Amino acid sequence: MQDVVLALLAKEPSHGYELRARLQEALGPMGDALNAGQVYVTLTRLEKAGLVTAEHVGQAHRPDRKVYALTADGRRRVDAWLADLTWGKPSEFHLKLVAAAAARLADPVDLVEAQRRELLRRLADVQRAALIEPDGSAAALLIEGITLRLEADLRWLDACARHWDRKG
Amino acid sequence: MGVLTAVIRLALRDLRRRRTEALLLLIAIAATTTTLTVGLTVGGAADRPWDRTRAATAAPDAVATSARSADLTALANAPGVTGTAGPYPTVSVTDLRVRDVRVAAVVQGRDTATGPVDRPVVTAGGWVRRGGVVVERAFAHALKARPGDEITIAGRRLRVAGVAITAARVPYPSSTPGLVWTTRADLRLLGRPVTSHVMPIRLADPSTAPAFAAAHRNVRSWQDMGAYATAELHLVNQALLTGTWALALLAVACVAVLVGGRLADQIRRVGLLKAVGATPRLVAVVLLAEHLLVALAAAAVGLFAGWAAAPALARPSTGLLATGRPDLTPGSAVIVVAVALAVTGAATLVPAVRGARTSTVRALAGPARAPRRSPRLVALSARLPVPLLLGVRLAVRRPRRAVLALVSLAITGAMVVSAIALNGDITRKDARTTGIMFVPGAPNPVTEQVDHVVFVITFALLALAAVNAVLIAWATSLDSRRPTALARALGATPGQVTAGLSAAQLFPAALAGTLAIPLGLAVYAGARAAGGASGGGAIPYAWLPAVIPGTLVAVALLTALPVRMAGRRPVAEVLRAE
Amino acid sequence: MAILRACGLRKEYGRGTGLVRAVDHVDLDVEAGETVAIVGPSGCGKSTLLHLLGGLERPTGGELRLADRRIDRMSETELARLRRQAIGFVFQAFQLVDELTALENVELPALLAGAGPRVARRRAVELLERVGLADRAAHLPAALSGGQRQRVAVARALVGRPYVVLADEPTGNLDSAATTEVLRLFAALRADGQTLLLVTHESRVAATADRVITMRDGALVGQTNLAGAGGGLGAFAGLEG
Repeated sequence: MQDVVLALLAKEPSHGYELRARLQEALGPMGDALNAGQVYVTLTRLEKAGLVTAEHVGQAHRPDRKVYALTADGRRRVDAWLADLTWGKPSEFHLKLVAAAAARLADPVDLVEAQRRELLRRLADVQRAALIEPDGSAAALLIEGITLRLEADLRWLDACARHWDRKG
Repeated sequence: MGVLTAVIRLALRDLRRRRTEALLLLIAIAATTTTLTVGLTVGGAADRPWDRTRAATAAPDAVATSARSADLTALANAPGVTGTAGPYPTVSVTDLRVRDVRVAAVVQGRDTATGPVDRPVVTAGGWVRRGGVVVERAFAHALKARPGDEITIAGRRLRVAGVAITAARVPYPSSTPGLVWTTRADLRLLGRPVTSHVMPIRLADPSTAPAFAAAHRNVRSWQDMGAYATAELHLVNQALLTGTWALALLAVACVAVLVGGRLADQIRRVGLLKAVGATPRLVAVVLLAEHLLVALAAAAVGLFAGWAAAPALARPSTGLLATGRPDLTPGSAVIVVAVALAVTGAATLVPAVRGARTSTVRALAGPARAPRRSPRLVALSARLPVPLLLGVRLAVRRPRRAVLALVSLAITGAMVVSAIALNGDITRKDARTTGIMFVPGAPNPVTEQVDHVVFVITFALLALAAVNAVLIAWATSLDSRRPTALARALGATPGQVTAGLSAAQLFPAALAGTLAIPLGLAVYAGARAAGGASGGGAIPYAWLPAVIPGTLVAVALLTALPVRMAGRRPVAEVLRAE
Repeated sequence: MAILRACGLRKEYGRGTGLVRAVDHVDLDVEAGETVAIVGPSGCGKSTLLHLLGGLERPTGGELRLADRRIDRMSETELARLRRQAIGFVFQAFQLVDELTALENVELPALLAGAGPRVARRRAVELLERVGLADRAAHLPAALSGGQRQRVAVARALVGRPYVVLADEPTGNLDSAATTEVLRLFAALRADGQTLLLVTHESRVAATADRVITMRDGALVGQTNLAGAGGGLGAFAGLEG
């Protein structure tokens, strides 16, 4: 969550309300679960960690609002996040692509390709283990589960590549 | 009612979708029905010219011949005899001349008034008069003699007064020498001794004539003479009916190949029909209906063509009165339709029933019939060069089709062999008809017609066998698409595959050619025995082995195109289509 | 040294507006002893590429060399001879001859190549042993499991001691257990130094290769080297942290 918010801020300084709207747009029906509080809590934590700065902007008929912007540390953190190939939940990678595309931080197709390679390498390791594992062992069952997950993820990455390829 | 509509609609649609196949089917069956119709028509009307001639000429029921006229006078009083004429003196001469032709003849002395029995019908000119002779019509035809022509008998110059037909003697050349009538006075003036006396006899009961003839010496019954007088029609009829058998068998093979060749497709269709709720019986009915429709059309074509062709293929002797176009009897029509239906039914029933029994799922899934496996041939073929290896394996995949090819070619080969044998026999017979008894240069109407009919039948057989060979090659290359593509993926060259497919056709052909020789000789011997011929015939044995290479070359040429196309088909496409 | 080398390889179907570039200027080097997987969505032209490489189809343009021999301009007959000695094929649908036993299927290419029946038989027995099916030699394909059938097909592909084995979706008709069975065989072949080129849409199959090449719309668009990969498996089991 922190990384996603940081990446969204890399495009331009924004206030919490805008960030939440962008997240909800990218997540579609999955974004309904995202409440306003979550975004503000995250922003407060980031501010404490020195990754973002907040600035009060006055408004004509309403109370002032906080506009957040990235610090240099925040910027480095975003770059590291984009380069990181750790594989978590699809929604996280999805938001990474959305944020990267929005902020023009990286070509999503390249991100997908790098991730794909990483997963393929992992699958290669798993397969190497699978081929020496005797049939019917308990470990073989576990390996089959991991294989199926990775295969599904790779298939989804193909879909991501097609989607962002068309957009780019 | 709805079921019937469905059956007819499905049958018609499928036929329309496969016009070429339907047409080939039609041709194959029509060839059979046409031949059968001609055979039945000719056979049914064979006796009519003789019967009409007998009625028109107050024909005798028996004819007695004797050297002494006194013997005949005694016979005239025998029991059962109700009337006689003559006896007429006859002189055999060997020097009848018309223009530059010299031939033997029997000259019969007649009264200028006709008697109660045997009144020849004059068809041109008039009856005998002084110095004027009448020539039997078939003899006159061979001599090209017309009323008014000059004729020299035993050195005496006479004139042809007329041409006539009789039923008291078998027309030339079925009996030789030819017959000439003169007045008794002119006969005496020839100055030759009387060879014999002839007396036409009327019996109280004509059906007793054979018994009467057997009881007395030198008496011939009208039935016996009739058999010779109509010999050409009976021989032609026999040849046609033999040919019908052969053609019917080829047609069965043809239908079976067509039905079998599309079995894969057909069975899938069956599966489809079953999937939408057709009962197995309905499915079988649709398959049968489709082919029986074609069979009915072929029967109609055959009946018409046969009826139209019959007079051209079989003409009665010119020595008999013509009877016009022979009719097609309802009985014959029923037989023809029944044969057409039987031929088609026999070839369609097995696949129809098999299709109906196939489980729906299997039928929808595809491959019609698993190819056969024959371990011994597979092992044996491993020792052969690649084209033969492929050939053997392709041939044994579908043994039934190989058997059909074998049967079709063997029958055709056998008929060709018996045609060659018959031709040899006819040539020999024609060679014997060159003596003084025969008019030099005149064709023999009997052998000529038989020859003609045999030629037509042989041609039809060859055409049908050719169609079969092409169809079998086509069906084989269609369903060996996958194995041949695979062989090529594994390194067989297109040349080897083509040669292999060709070899698959040539194995049955070689066997068929070999079987055809004894089979053909047996057919011919059987036909001769049935026709009452004696002696061994004059079979040109030296020519017969040529049937084997002949069959091989013909099959190789005929199957070259489908086989070559199959050998060149793009491999990737076939393998991808799986 | 590259055993198989394609340079600007093209295959086009149709003409004018209906022109389809099934294979579009493909450059590919396959090193001896290497296992290469070509992956991509269906219809991307990977099967066509495989057929071109195996001489089952002729390229529209470009150069193709196998063991330093130009093969793109060979006649059908020359290609057939080449396939006997230099290329082994494995197909998705096994493509075994239904009426021949496992052993007879395996010896078929040897016989087609003109080997004597005894030599062919000996080689076939050897290869069936190699793929672990010596006890199934007399079985017809219908009596074998999918994995066993494909192993027979692999044995058949090896008869001519080919430079390269080309496999077109070799596990496409198999379940996961049978896929593992076939992949084990491929791994063993690789250990023996057999060059292998796989076309597949299954990532688990591609993952067993040294190199994975991605194909899209007839062109090669990316490649992943897996030869050096190898790390702990713990990460996948989620055991750390």
